[in-house]
Amino acid sequence: MLYALMGLGLALIAGILNIPNFAHGALFAVGAYLTVTAIGAFGNFWLALALAPVGVALLGLLIEYLGIRRLYAAGHDYQLLFTFGLSLILAEAIILVWGPVGISQLPPPVLRGSVDLGFTIYPKYRLFVMSAAGLLVVGTWLFLEKTRYGAIMRAGIENREMVSLLGIDIHRLFTVAFALGAYLAGIAGALTAPIRGLSPGMGVDMLGIAFVVVALGGMGNILGAIAAGLLIGVAQAVVAAYWTEASVAVIYLVMAAVLVFRPQGLFGTR
Amino acid sequence: MKLRIAAVLTAVFVLPLLVRPAIATEIWIFAIFGLGANLLIGYTGLLSFGQATFFGSAAYVAGYVLKYYGLSVFAALGIGIGVGAVSAAAVGYLCVQRSGIYFIMLTFALNQLFYFVAYQWTSVTGGEDGMPGIPRPVIAGLDFKSPLLYYAFVSALFLASLWAMQRLVGSPLGKILQAIRENELRAAAVGYDVARFKLLAFVIAGAFSGLAGVLYAMLFGIVPLEAISFVFSGNVVFATLIGGSGSLYGPVIGAVVFIWLSESVSVLWERWPLLLGVAFVIVVLFLRGGVVEAWSRFIAWRMRWRSSKRAA
Repeated sequence: MLYALMGLGLALIAGILNIPNFAHGALFAVGAYLTVTAIGAFGNFWLALALAPVGVALLGLLIEYLGIRRLYAAGHDYQLLFTFGLSLILAEAIILVWGPVGISQLPPPVLRGSVDLGFTIYPKYRLFVMSAAGLLVVGTWLFLEKTRYGAIMRAGIENREMVSLLGIDIHRLFTVAFALGAYLAGIAGALTAPIRGLSPGMGVDMLGIAFVVVALGGMGNILGAIAAGLLIGVAQAVVAAYWTEASVAVIYLVMAAVLVFRPQGLFGTR
Repeated sequence: MKLRIAAVLTAVFVLPLLVRPAIATEIWIFAIFGLGANLLIGYTGLLSFGQATFFGSAAYVAGYVLKYYGLSVFAALGIGIGVGAVSAAAVGYLCVQRSGIYFIMLTFALNQLFYFVAYQWTSVTGGEDGMPGIPRPVIAGLDFKSPLLYYAFVSALFLASLWAMQRLVGSPLGKILQAIRENELRAAAVGYDVARFKLLAFVIAGAFSGLAGVLYAMLFGIVPLEAISFVFSGNVVFATLIGGSGSLYGPVIGAVVFIWLSESVSVLWERWPLLLGVAFVIVVLFLRGGVVEAWSRFIAWRMRWRSSKRAA
């Protein structure tokens, strides 16, 4: 579900802004670190979970407004270099601020321990993350499908020129889309923190996975990204149970295998 | 043209006097790597963010056979070039079916696949510690343990690569690739199998990367995990772009600037990727077009300045 969340945010940015966002993983990491700091500052997990992703969204807003906005006319090479540069800056900034050593974070007291589901025993916090991420994915999907602004966003994926010709401020749309994508990355980071702990390298690991999700789901396809996120997560969990070492590589192998047979991705048309 | 060749030759002879031989060698290795990347990025218009896949795979495989089977240098180079080309064919086959930002993401994701295989397969690759103990064998009585001799060997290979690349981009094949860059649909309409030519560009670029990878492994005697990581892929893209992509000498200039800067800054400050990131952002926002274009803008500015002085 977390993968779906990351993929969804990246698919939005890729689909609407048509830029390769190499900073998406770094935004995820910043979300996780901000959450830990906020928990330290407020002593309240829920408040931190609410605030930290908003901070990431604001960061995304700034990045779009000050940098990416100037690059829509430039080639992908410069967009790539810019977002890659940003991801380096953010990763190094994390090391400078929080140190190079990993940090671990406990879930809030309510969510510690496990529950007996009848067929299996499962940690409470993981259940919470699954349902929270599920709600967010469904919420984002409903926003895109059922609201007016969501319809405008989907139209932006289909045809940007048309949308701007209809008198819609396309630049504001881009800013909102980037901030929303950043928010989703940030909250994915925030939710991850108590599961996997934090390390400066977490962003890059997640970035690769997010790319896989988008490539697998089919380009510019929101539902595809969600489905691919689930598929990857399940595949990884199954492999991890039998052969732990291969659990990361399997993500990429699944992608390569699917692309051999369906180069356009599972649900892609392009 | 002659002037440029003279400039490159001068650089080859002068460079080891200015910097340590190891850095000078690394510069030309990186230039070979950049030549391959530029064939994709500059000439074919394929922005590959996974060049380290071929560089690293070749370095690991050739390093392994050098270490355990004691092959000759030329056999190792041949194996490296072969591994680079084959891995590029596999990656290219999956990637050329996509275009735009999805192509970029895919090259990166496949790079991550190779990275994680190298990371986990510790019995062969040494994982995070890298694969140490790669020898530099002796050819015809010449002991390449001498840094200067190895430098001469690498620069000769670099000049050969530069010559080969120059022939290639001037050949009909090179023209077809440039036609694909300019207008893919039109190239297809004229009757070229665009996907096949893109794949071919991948294989050739992979061969160059493979050559660079083996030379790199022999230079440092170790294949570090970074050699196959996205960081190297990003570096070569950056070097190509700051040099000015689409010109033959762009990546060469880029390699000189990039390696020299990174070697001199990284010893000063451990957090130098931060500066690298800042440099990326500054180049993108203010210096698009790279060193080659900045230079021609400078020349144009000087011409204008002179003519205005003459008019006054």
